[in-house]
Amino acid sequence: MQFIDKDKPSPQWIAATRKQFQVEREIDRALTCKMEKRSSPPYTKLPLAALVKGVTALIGSQLKTPFEISDAKWLAGGASKLQMAFKLHWDRPGVGRDITRMVLRNDLAEALHATSRLREFQVVRALDGVIPTPPVFWVDNVGEHLPYPGIVYGFVSGITKPSDAKSGVTGLGTYMPEEVRKKLAPQFVAHMAQLHTFDFRSADLSAFDVPKPGTQNAEWAVNWWDRVWAEDSDEQVPLVALASSWLHKNAPAVEHLSIVHGDFRTGNYLFDEADCRITTWLDWELARIGDRHQDLAWSTSHAFSVPAEDGKTLLVSGLMPESEFLEAYEKTSGLKVDRKALHWYQVFNAYSMIAMTLATSYRVAHNGKSHQDILLAWLLGVGYMLLDEMLGLIEKGA
Amino acid sequence: MQLRPQIQIQTIIKAMMEDVIPALDQTNQLAMQSAQLTIGTLMLISQHLPLEYRYDCDELARLLASAETLQAQAKGIAKTRDTLTKLTAASHAGADVLRRARAEPGEIVEAVRELRAATAEAVSAVYAEGDEAAQSAVEKTVLSMSKEQLLRDRSWLLMQGWEPDPKSVPAIETLLAPIAKS
Repeated sequence: MQFIDKDKPSPQWIAATRKQFQVEREIDRALTCKMEKRSSPPYTKLPLAALVKGVTALIGSQLKTPFEISDAKWLAGGASKLQMAFKLHWDRPGVGRDITRMVLRNDLAEALHATSRLREFQVVRALDGVIPTPPVFWVDNVGEHLPYPGIVYGFVSGITKPSDAKSGVTGLGTYMPEEVRKKLAPQFVAHMAQLHTFDFRSADLSAFDVPKPGTQNAEWAVNWWDRVWAEDSDEQVPLVALASSWLHKNAPAVEHLSIVHGDFRTGNYLFDEADCRITTWLDWELARIGDRHQDLAWSTSHAFSVPAEDGKTLLVSGLMPESEFLEAYEKTSGLKVDRKALHWYQVFNAYSMIAMTLATSYRVAHNGKSHQDILLAWLLGVGYMLLDEMLGLIEKGA
Repeated sequence: MQLRPQIQIQTIIKAMMEDVIPALDQTNQLAMQSAQLTIGTLMLISQHLPLEYRYDCDELARLLASAETLQAQAKGIAKTRDTLTKLTAASHAGADVLRRARAEPGEIVEAVRELRAATAEAVSAVYAEGDEAAQSAVEKTVLSMSKEQLLRDRSWLLMQGWEPDPKSVPAIETLLAPIAKS
């Protein structure tokens, strides 16, 4: 069998992989950039001063009036980003002299997924006023000013779980007490419905490709993770090969295109602990124009489910039983839940998560490319539970 | 199994060096020494792990050779009879083990990986070229084989806490087939 050194990929192999898996242009750019930089040195800890210098350069390239940055400090950023909080003293357009709390989300040498900061910037800006999103200010899509690509958001307060709640790493398996669930669940459904019924065609989403009617949307989606698996995996998994073939064979046509968040679950929104109001939705880097069933299926994944107090009923994203969730979604959005499409996207989502955990987590940690290699190596283990979930879904048939 | 000690040790060392040690009270000598020794020990384990099996086989072979020499040299000395009987028994047992210890652990892992890759390629080829009946048959084979393997993979990692119903996953000791004696 031909050996391919994925730690030092040749330009020929990168070109062949790009040709083999057709994906959206900006996703292709982000994945190609990842592969072209793969043989570069491991990630070394960045001092806070390097991010301050970078963000100063980024903001300086956008503002014509004097500004100052103060109170810079690290924020916990999860497995895929570095985050720095800071205050910007500036002449804010339409406001005047202002001190604004901001957050820089900065990429790493490599992360759980190679995505585009420009897409994130555009989609968050487009959704301003549609569902709660953080204000977004500036983007450095290629690391022109920052050490790695990054995006500057306005700071939004809130928590991802009640202060006394338990959860696993990166917010997986967060248990919400019943009184909190009752307040969060309707907002969770309403925000998803508002997202999926938003008319994206009037927004500036130039970094997104709009799929043609039919199965192109699903094909692009599978190709994305086929390519990630090809680029990042170490050990092959026959079930993954089967799943990829199964997904291509049974790809559903989309009848209504929506903006899809791509990681719509508890852990990716902030809420106010006092009144349980969702203050913002975070982590838009996997967003795409696609089929709403992708988000519906993602939210219902067992990886994000938590048993209720009876120990039996699984709660979607720790909030409500699946049947209740889907019924509420249909009622709120006016859009039907097609069980066949939902099933296909459940297989697809498991497939993408398997690629992220078993392939990318391994590759990033193996090459020492992140600030939390130990977390990525730990996350690798969830891949086997996801494989088992995917197996059960494929067994149910198309 | 992708989650193996090599990558685990590598990431633990990095976390210790970059996150844990800088956060320690640098004047706490006991804590600093223990942290450094933790890293040193992990580095040692990392170096030893891939060679441990070969190291033991190598010693066993040398012990067998010297036992044979010793038996010849001590033969006829009355008071060594019981000792030599024990040495002979241990040599026979050791020789049996060494005879069966043919492949190194690394070779087994490599064979597994080769077969996984070849199987995956065959599955894709059947879906690309085969008819409906062949695809359906292959699907059944892969699902059945994967189900058995995944039960072991999940049991192997049970302690990580990913399973929604951990009690339904049997202990790994009960799932692994014993190594054949002949």
